[in-house]
Amino acid sequence: MSLPAADVPSDEMRLIVRAKSGDAAALEELGAFCRKLAYVLALQLTGNREDAADLAQDTMLRFFRSLRRFDPRRPVRPWLYRIVRNLARDRLRRARVRRASSLEELTEARGNDLPAAGPGPEATASRWQLQSVVWRAVQELPVHYREVLVLRDYHGLAYAEIARILRLPRGTVMSRLHRGRLMVRQAVHASMQTGLAGEEAADA
Amino acid sequence: MRDRCPMGFDERLITAFLDGELTQADEQKVRLHLERCPHCRALYEDLRRIRNAAMTTGLPVPSDEEWDERPRTGASLTFRLLGWWLAIPWVIFVLGYALWEAWRGSQGAIVRIMTFGGIAAGALLLLSALLDRLRDLKTDRYRRIMK
Ligand SMILES: [Zn+2]
Repeated sequence: MSLPAADVPSDEMRLIVRAKSGDAAALEELGAFCRKLAYVLALQLTGNREDAADLAQDTMLRFFRSLRRFDPRRPVRPWLYRIVRNLARDRLRRARVRRASSLEELTEARGNDLPAAGPGPEATASRWQLQSVVWRAVQELPVHYREVLVLRDYHGLAYAEIARILRLPRGTVMSRLHRGRLMVRQAVHASMQTGLAGEEAADA
Repeated sequence: MRDRCPMGFDERLITAFLDGELTQADEQKVRLHLERCPHCRALYEDLRRIRNAAMTTGLPVPSDEEWDERPRTGASLTFRLLGWWLAIPWVIFVLGYALWEAWRGSQGAIVRIMTFGGIAAGALLLLSALLDRLRDLKTDRYRRIMK
């Protein structure tokens, strides 16, 4: 199953074609773009900056090594994500991964870079608290639940795309996602005595 | 918290409903069930908030400068390590020479050790500068990887 050509933005396709021909500026641009995506996914899968930076770097090596064979009519992200995920799995299997950082630790250095969310300061604080608890719960999930949840909720991919990246049936994606969310819900309930009802303001 | 829907509804559909992954018929089925079942309504609300929280979580990404400070490829990392591995035999060699001169107790040993050590240090400095330059040759690095 491959995506129809129309799904790939034309400027993305052009960029890849130029990069494949060895155009230095296109290579630089494609590299910077993909490196960021790879880093964010790696950070979500491993939970810490050092592993994420290593994985992003390794991903870019593999990415450019196989760029020649890549069909520019296909979207880049699933291909890139598959590389990140496989490398992350390798690393997790060998237990070479460091402790997952909290969301506070990850964002303290550059908290001002975060998008302002919510209507008021109270709602923002409450939303932030929930985000932080959810992040920790996601980091504690077994990896096969975590990767599905990360691709769906943090990257907004459709089930079919996730199924293609992970080489799983779509039904399995749905089941794992649901199981993962149930586990996150349990963790959230355990860590917030007030329960999720207290978050009403943040979501309204 | 672990209990299931008392009416035996397939709760995975609630997750798929949130993600807009259901057919219209199944969507309607979920909507109707949510109206009737407080258990699933509570689950739906919780999952919706959790999903929103995850979807709006922003993560800082290293700037281009921070990326540039990292050793870039496996090859550049090897260069960096190579510099250290070359330094060790140099140190052993110079120390060995110094000891040998001291043991012989020959005249002008100090001068010779200073000269020898100086040349060794100079060579090492030159070598590490060379390795640094090699590492910093980052233009068209992606093109090199592609080959
Ligand atoms: Zn129900």
